[in-house]
Amino acid sequence: MNKLDKVEASFVRSYAKLDTVRDVKVPRVNPEDSPETPAEKAPDPNLGTEVIPASRYTSAEFMRLEWEHIWRKVWLLGCREDDIPEAGDYACTEIGRESVLIVRQPDGGVRAFYNVCQHRGNRLRSPGYGSATTFKCSYHHWEYRLDGSFENIPDVDTFPQGSPCNGLTEIPCDSWGSFVWFSLNPEVEPLLEFLDPIPAHLGAYNFSRMALTRDVTIEWNCNWKASVDAFNESYHVQGIHPQLLWYLDDYNIQIDCYARHNRYLIPFATISPRVKLPPDIPPAIKHIMLEAGMDPADYDGKIKDLRVNIQKFKRKHGVAQGKDYSRLNDDQLTDDYHYMIFPNVTLNIHADDLMLFRQRPHPTDPDKMLFDVQTYELIPEGGEWPERPEHATYPHGDKSIGLVLDQDAHNLPGVQQGMHSAGFRGLWLGKQELRIRHFHKVIDDYIFGPGGKPADSAF
Amino acid sequence: MDLGLKGKKAIVTGSTKGIGRRIVDLLADEGVDVGVCSRDEDEVAETVAALKAKGVNAVGAAVNVRDGDAYKVWLTETAEALGGVDIFVPNVSGGGGMDSEKNWWKCFEIDILGTVRGVETLMPQLEQSEAAAVVIISSTNAVEFFAGPMAYNAMKAALLNYSKQLALFVAKKGIRVNAVSPGPVYFEGGAWEMIEGTMPEFYKATLKQIPAGRMATPEEIARVVAFAASPAGSVLQGANIVADLGFTNRVQY
Repeated sequence: MNKLDKVEASFVRSYAKLDTVRDVKVPRVNPEDSPETPAEKAPDPNLGTEVIPASRYTSAEFMRLEWEHIWRKVWLLGCREDDIPEAGDYACTEIGRESVLIVRQPDGGVRAFYNVCQHRGNRLRSPGYGSATTFKCSYHHWEYRLDGSFENIPDVDTFPQGSPCNGLTEIPCDSWGSFVWFSLNPEVEPLLEFLDPIPAHLGAYNFSRMALTRDVTIEWNCNWKASVDAFNESYHVQGIHPQLLWYLDDYNIQIDCYARHNRYLIPFATISPRVKLPPDIPPAIKHIMLEAGMDPADYDGKIKDLRVNIQKFKRKHGVAQGKDYSRLNDDQLTDDYHYMIFPNVTLNIHADDLMLFRQRPHPTDPDKMLFDVQTYELIPEGGEWPERPEHATYPHGDKSIGLVLDQDAHNLPGVQQGMHSAGFRGLWLGKQELRIRHFHKVIDDYIFGPGGKPADSAF
Repeated sequence: MDLGLKGKKAIVTGSTKGIGRRIVDLLADEGVDVGVCSRDEDEVAETVAALKAKGVNAVGAAVNVRDGDAYKVWLTETAEALGGVDIFVPNVSGGGGMDSEKNWWKCFEIDILGTVRGVETLMPQLEQSEAAAVVIISSTNAVEFFAGPMAYNAMKAALLNYSKQLALFVAKKGIRVNAVSPGPVYFEGGAWEMIEGTMPEFYKATLKQIPAGRMATPEEIARVVAFAASPAGSVLQGANIVADLGFTNRVQY
């Protein structure tokens, strides 16, 4: 044991005991009883204990490296399949300074193009969703078909050099899990290879049964990674979300790091070991019960058994409620199976709903980002599919997006300001924050090549 | 002041946590043998061990007061194990909530029937006691608006009526019956700690209504209960002792 490990061990001994008031053994599903989603704990990678330099969050140079080596290389979430159901339906989404058109083809497939007219560089469409028979540029009416090829160039004979190319610049595009993905990298690996092992883990949820119920983008005054970090650990629950201590177990979580993606499994519908068991069912857990069709006033079990009893109830009554949970394990009926798809998609996954965050960098400013939040709800069999909500964009703090996210949003600008301080070197991460360390390791792998980060790097 | 509790025997329901736990702790400190229950076996075992360590006889079992038959069996067996009963405190409650009609059944079964069945089952032992005392736990919610039309509030009001009727009905048998009505009581693991964490605005608004600027501790309530239950409180009969740090603003004529 080296000196640092000894310090770490004493820290854990002296504080871990103090900050939880109960020893809780969370019943976890036996991995053999998980029909599809692997429930095994993955071995923790040895990622060291180095400080994560604050400059990664503030530097224009690092932002440039990220653009060059990450955003232009990876697969990125574009839209939902059902955002563009019919031939000609399109989604226009932005990443950095680029804008992308994702277009449903007459054969049912999807293709993606840079959203830029080949004539003088004008954008063909504004961000959002729409339907087109052709894409005609508003500037000089250059016109493109759904497959990106030219439909018409007005006065084409006045271009002695001919047309500039075959049409719009196409980029890789593919679908998985009811979502459409694109990449700015023409050489990118196949989507499923990039997403591995996520498809094998999450197919069981069958997201296509869930309908979008909220679609909001907020400009947050922080670096995009500060937002990813905020959702990659539950250590902050005691500080930022005290009300959740009567809703989930923020301490006994299972963290699993994979090649580039990671997850943690948070028991929901239970009481944090940081507080004593209350005499009554907490209001937020009553809400879970009501949603499941359980009457909290009829509950005669113990408070500490709520989670398991809710699991049993949902298992028993799901089918009658039109909710097929057969592909999910018992823990998935209550818990947050929380996945991070590198680099910027955070998924809070539950049996009956999905809360998805897409964290996008600001086009030019490392101190800002775009926080996309979408919520999806499982529609019971035979239930009415709700109309798609209009996408809305807010400035930071302009509107509530729910208490928990408001608490995170309120906190993050202060974090970003602190990143600039001469009195702060960088992130001093504990074991509960392993996913953050893993995230930054993957960033380094992309930017510097695996193990290629120079010893004297400022980042 | 000697409360005169030494050597007495008490049964307190819902007594492994909160106010109930402080009541049995205090009674044991005063030399009372105690019978305890809650729904959690581990908590009962821990409580019994802690009470025995105080040098008194203590017995306990995991009981769901809602299960009338099991509850009566436990009461009878506990009275036998203690060798009599002088003090009975039906402390356990169904708690708040107004999201379902079932709350009414729950509070009726736990608060009302938990009290009535207890009194009726233990009546033979209480009749034989030289210093029999029943202390019923009500609430300030019984007499003033609180939160809304909850079963909890109405059932606590019914307990006040029952307490007075019972007090005069059994007075000739030498059994004293009184009620204690706590205002907000704060402790780790209590409802108010959870409300502070999950509904901070409601917590702060309630705290503002208490002139003392704080909520009561369960130890403070336990002291009032112990006094009402003790021979030192011999003059109390059919009383409703409001123990609320001035939370209620009505005049108690």
